[in-house]
Amino acid sequence: MEAETLARTFTALADPTRVAIVARLATGDATVKELTEPFELTQQAVSRHLKVLAEAGLVTRRQEAQARPASLEVERLVEILTWIDARRAEWAARHDRLAEHLRRLG
Amino acid sequence: MRYLHDAPPELVFACMTTPEHLTHFWGPAGTHTPLANIVVDLRPGGAFQTTMVNDRSGDTYTMRAVYVTVDPPKFLSWREVGSDVLTEITFTDRGDGTTEVVTVQHGLPPHMRTPEARAGWATALDRAAAYVKKLTRETT
Repeated sequence: MEAETLARTFTALADPTRVAIVARLATGDATVKELTEPFELTQQAVSRHLKVLAEAGLVTRRQEAQARPASLEVERLVEILTWIDARRAEWAARHDRLAEHLRRLG
Repeated sequence: MRYLHDAPPELVFACMTTPEHLTHFWGPAGTHTPLANIVVDLRPGGAFQTTMVNDRSGDTYTMRAVYVTVDPPKFLSWREVGSDVLTEITFTDRGDGTTEVVTVQHGLPPHMRTPEARAGWATALDRAAAYVKKLTRETT
């Protein structure tokens, strides 16, 4: 995963309201209007948050319907999880090599 | 992640912060990191850079980071340039010549690790996990 893509995704999630919107969308698509109520936000504010999430590839807006419901891009979430797992595996292997290096020093 | 090393914290910390040591274990399998490709300016704000070389193709990958906290031999952290991922390493002296090393990488911003955020986030992650399971089923 590109560092910039990753940074954009993390930045998009660096806001409690946007995290809550992502969590809400995880239960199903929602329109801007539907998102205003639970979060006590104006439609304008919800649209702004959705725009940031869309730019990070976490959310898409369906074009066909007039209300343009927002959907969570589960694949992007999976990418992030995969990236985190890969990092963890990388560190485990690195410590294995360090242990071997320490034995050689010993 | 947690790892127990059979060496005192001073030595493990030195391994993690000295190019002459890092060159022996830094790069992932299938790559090597020549001594000349490692920059360590061990102070807060100082550079930490490694350029790993693919053993076969010779392709290189550079990790650029800046040290945030340098507290030998107990704690070390750096932040990667571009992704802003923060790596924190805690070295704990177990008093028997071994060192417990805990490595944590923070990609997600701190408020996402609060219990409230976790609860909301868990739903999304559950859905992601279900999606992966579905993909796995489809491909096998």
